[in-house]
Amino acid sequence: MKNCYTNFLSAICLFIVPLMLFEACSGSHEEGAGHESLLETIKRKEKDSIENDVNLHELMRDVKKVLAEVPESERQFYVLERKSELKSFPCTNCHNVPLSSLQSDFAKQQKKKAHWEIELVHANKDIMDCNTCHDQNDLNSLVLLNGKKVDFDQSFKQCAQCHSTQYNDWLGGAHGKRVLGWADPKVIYNCVNCHVPHEPALPTRWPARLNTAKLKERQSDEN
Amino acid sequence: MKEKKENNKAMQNTSGSCQNGNCSCGDGYQQTLNKKSDRRGMLKKLTMGLLTGAGMVNSACSITASDEDKEKSQLDWESFFQGNYQLMTEDEKKKTVERLERSYELNHGRHPDISAKGPEKDVLYGYAFNISKCRGYMDCVNACVQENNQDRDTQMQYIRIHEHKNGQINFELAEDNYFHEVPAEGHFYMGTQCFHCENPPCVKVCPVEATWKEKDGIVVVDYDWCIGCRYCMAACPYDGRRFNWQTPEVPEEEVNLNQHYLGNRLRKKGVMEKCTFCIQRSREGKNPACVEACPTGARIFGNLLDPNSEIRWVLANKKVFRLKEDLGTEPKFWYFMD
Repeated sequence: MKNCYTNFLSAICLFIVPLMLFEACSGSHEEGAGHESLLETIKRKEKDSIENDVNLHELMRDVKKVLAEVPESERQFYVLERKSELKSFPCTNCHNVPLSSLQSDFAKQQKKKAHWEIELVHANKDIMDCNTCHDQNDLNSLVLLNGKKVDFDQSFKQCAQCHSTQYNDWLGGAHGKRVLGWADPKVIYNCVNCHVPHEPALPTRWPARLNTAKLKERQSDEN
Repeated sequence: MKEKKENNKAMQNTSGSCQNGNCSCGDGYQQTLNKKSDRRGMLKKLTMGLLTGAGMVNSACSITASDEDKEKSQLDWESFFQGNYQLMTEDEKKKTVERLERSYELNHGRHPDISAKGPEKDVLYGYAFNISKCRGYMDCVNACVQENNQDRDTQMQYIRIHEHKNGQINFELAEDNYFHEVPAEGHFYMGTQCFHCENPPCVKVCPVEATWKEKDGIVVVDYDWCIGCRYCMAACPYDGRRFNWQTPEVPEEEVNLNQHYLGNRLRKKGVMEKCTFCIQRSREGKNPACVEACPTGARIFGNLLDPNSEIRWVLANKKVFRLKEDLGTEPKFWYFMD
């Protein structure tokens, strides 16, 4: 009886224990758990071409977008279209005559005053005025510092002239936002979708919600 | 003190009686198994068990109950035998989800779309939070509550926004309930939620395997398997988990019907829940609701296995850090500055 027992024990030691050890070791290699860091896991599993069916093509169909003109970027991406959002685009609807004659029309009270509410709160007044971005000779497009024309949909080029750090972050993905999701196609918000170009700083405001339970608690404390 | 002593005495007495084999001491199953029961006691228990079961079947087979009531109790009966989600076959998952949809429809009159979509190939989700961009607007919190059908009554929220004084990151000194216009002068804001650790301590401690890490890196909870012991809540070093102390209250018209079994389907009293990176959205290629709602672009979400993704660009080009990195939990949630 005792013999049988020791035989059984030695069988366990000889076969089962090494088998368990082997399983444990090989398992941890496959799973990458334990001693493999997250960055190592990412490096090991990353793929140059992702093979799955997740995409946003269908949802993006109704989103108005244009291909971004970014020669320095290897990957194509879209930005949100802008022109259809502008209330009275094309500007030549009104600006079909020189500015001086529009001003004299206004003086004769034949035309409504326009753009009077715009106050430029963007950089120093010595540095920027309307003509820094708007092309006086062709108000349907914007103009770069070197005199080249820029479409309203590609206005990020305008901003990139001074804000190069933000522009690089925007191209990479650390500034700005993707539209709808992380999957392809890549559509990103244009600078002017978040920043009003004439007053680009984001305002201070009240938070969207307050902890009302805490508020009550504080009020009762004060009373 | 006296009482304690008496209690101790009583304990000793019962442990003494253990020697004859018939006792109600010890813990767990021993209490039941070691106890010798007489025939009458046994019969009593059997009848009681049968009656409880029969009560449930009763309305399902009754001639007088309406068809709807019958279906309801039939569904309740089936839910009683629902297994662990991880062990279900695709077919079983589909049936479970259909039952949940039907059950909600019978009780609330609206048909939810509950998905059981699994993880996609070549995807590992990661998140980055820009502490120079966040302005404490809290739009993310509102979006999260709405998207994930969180209890409105207890104001359960997966996201916390902490207001820190410039120059220090100390969560004990941070203000989490600010009442002023934001951003406040000389302060910065930092959001926390579930970090979906690659090495999650909350998963290790679960005694019933009701929480686990999916292949795409999302840490999920099976609300029907959770026993509410809250071990995971204690184990999480980041305050990432929430407990339903009461039956969650969500106004019917505000219920988000686009649901996932492991995500925002309606929970019950006594179970854990937490951020799932909006699994019902992210697995469709969309961004989580907080990312979508943020007006500052402080929140970045994407696939860590795609070298061209925004999240990878941030990791490669920004100075990033994670909270309590020394614990080895490997959160897939990084903070960075402009």
